[in-house]
Amino acid sequence: MDTLLIATFEILSFGAIVVLVVLGLGIIASMMGIFNFAQGEFVLLGAYVTYLVHSVGLPVPLGMLAAPIAVGALGFVLEKLVVRRFYTAPVVAMLGTYALGLIIREAVRGLTGGLYLSVPEPISGSITIGSLHFATWRGVIVIITLLVMAASHALLAYTSFGLRVRASLENPSLARASGISTGMIYSVTFAFGAALAGLAGALIVPVFSLFADLGIRFLIQGFVAVMVGGLGSFAGPVAGASVIGTFSAWLPWLMSPVIADVLVFVLAIIFIKFRPQGLVSGRGVNR
Amino acid sequence: MINASRQLSRRRFLGNFAFASAAIAAGPGSWVIRPDWANAAEGPIRLGIATDLTGSLGFAGNTDANVARMLVKEVNDSGGLLGRPIELLIEDTASDESVAVGNVRKLIQRDKVDLVLGGISSSMRNAIKDVIISRGKTLYIYPEGYEGKECTPYLFCTGPVPAQNCDQFIPWLIKNGGKRFALPGSNYVWPQTINAYARKVIESSGGEVIFEEYYPLDQIDFSSTVSRIISNKVDVVFNAIVPPGVSPFFKQLYQAGFSKNGGRLGCVYYDENFLEMNQAHEIEGLASSLDYYKVLAAEDPVSARIQSAYDKQFPAKFRFSAGSAATGTYRGLKLWEAAVKEAGTIDRDAVAAALDHAKIAEGPGGPAEMAPGKRHCRMNMYIGVAKGGQYEIVARSAGLVDPKEC
Repeated sequence: MDTLLIATFEILSFGAIVVLVVLGLGIIASMMGIFNFAQGEFVLLGAYVTYLVHSVGLPVPLGMLAAPIAVGALGFVLEKLVVRRFYTAPVVAMLGTYALGLIIREAVRGLTGGLYLSVPEPISGSITIGSLHFATWRGVIVIITLLVMAASHALLAYTSFGLRVRASLENPSLARASGISTGMIYSVTFAFGAALAGLAGALIVPVFSLFADLGIRFLIQGFVAVMVGGLGSFAGPVAGASVIGTFSAWLPWLMSPVIADVLVFVLAIIFIKFRPQGLVSGRGVNR
Repeated sequence: MINASRQLSRRRFLGNFAFASAAIAAGPGSWVIRPDWANAAEGPIRLGIATDLTGSLGFAGNTDANVARMLVKEVNDSGGLLGRPIELLIEDTASDESVAVGNVRKLIQRDKVDLVLGGISSSMRNAIKDVIISRGKTLYIYPEGYEGKECTPYLFCTGPVPAQNCDQFIPWLIKNGGKRFALPGSNYVWPQTINAYARKVIESSGGEVIFEEYYPLDQIDFSSTVSRIISNKVDVVFNAIVPPGVSPFFKQLYQAGFSKNGGRLGCVYYDENFLEMNQAHEIEGLASSLDYYKVLAAEDPVSARIQSAYDKQFPAKFRFSAGSAATGTYRGLKLWEAAVKEAGTIDRDAVAAALDHAKIAEGPGGPAEMAPGKRHCRMNMYIGVAKGGQYEIVARSAGLVDPKEC
């Protein structure tokens, strides 16, 4: 019973981390049709900004607020300079964003000297119930993930900005004819996706510490999540991320971790083979 | 006709392209540090360093290159070796074996070096040793602590091996932790080999192994492992998980109350670089077993001199630490210097024969000597315990510890 409680909490919290990381990736992939291979490095950059703010002596929560803003701003600039040239060629876009990611990753490696650096949790310690310990910060991540998910969904489903985003996605020429600046919408959407990655990086850096390859692991998991969840909708990637996150945290409880690691991907491939449209096949944002 | 000329120009383009890329590859990737004086008739002795200046092991590789720069400068300032200056040639192995083989070949074929020192990971050593030794007919020194079992002629190892890491350390862990061990490790050769050795020592010292488990190299969530450690009432976690997993693993162990309930963390490779990976309270009491700690400078004047000379020349973030193979590099180069002096030549067989029993009286952490016929190094070993973000030496070997290899 004790183990079951702990396992549930740990699986839930790791699932939440994967959802948080995939959210931005999913929004960019679904709303813009671009697979952003630099997404993992946006996560890394969010983590780095948090570390930077902490290392000059300012409080960590301030860094966590600054991270999405800084990474979002960088995403905006990169979209204007680089990414927008690739909308007609999604394969080239993958290469282009991969290159951007490589530049960011190696720059961070240079700046950190390739070392692994710790950032303290704003709320540390663990909640003790009987002999069980639950890490407080992991609980906080679960709650923030739920809030961010709800807020992102509300933004896309209920605001006029969300309406413009969806319009630009479904019929760009009609959207332009109706006076929507699709170029600007794309820039802002990309920046929003980047900001979410930045936030994810800021929140997870106390758990995993800062190192240059932080983003890579999540990038692969993120893409599998998007494929399993289904492209084109808001709910798809989120559903996919919960499934992948849950499986990769749950399977090591049952079998050797090395086999579990592979099995997650094997199961994902089999699933996509029989249901290529993914878990959620709809397009757009359901209200 | 048009077609043919286009074909020709494409081929020409490819040729130029190949030339250009070769030039780029040869250019900024190599560092040559020529001595100020090169008047000797025979020309300089060429020392090749092949190490990971870039990529994930860059933090260690840059340290090793710095140590070599420091030692070569010392030798050249004091009149050189056999009256000849040393020319230092540094190639990047880029934490990538396929890049490394090409760059090491440059050291051997283009630069014709007299010694190659380098490689951090075992896979790197395996990738480049053949290029250096059998095809290159050159001497090779591998400076990093590793899993042992490397018995290739002309390959000398100057870092600690499992016997040196474990024989003193595990009885200490049993005494200062408990009898119930967990052996979690990353899934590759070093953790598997050192765990196999550790298991033998644990069982012969009266301890027991509760579980031994391996994880993918990039795994960063260890909830199920931590839960098993807690529910099985493990006393000592003998960790062979490597970065990036080790920091979240220690954090999760701490949060689950492992150390609060008297558990002991042991990890043989933990040096000063790794202390920053976690907050100090999360790894309070972690014990490690290495050939050098920075705190030794407070008691040993030789270590203090080496440490301060390094810090003065290279104040940047690449620390002189045992886990980065800085001490192995220092020992390797000094032992080689002694062997060249004894042999009176740089001929490979003569130097190898002298290196086989070379000794140095002064090194970081104390003196060192090669175990004759074993091509591994005897050295002092220390047990350090992390206290408030620093190491404290709690035990040390009675003298030089034998590698028990080959």
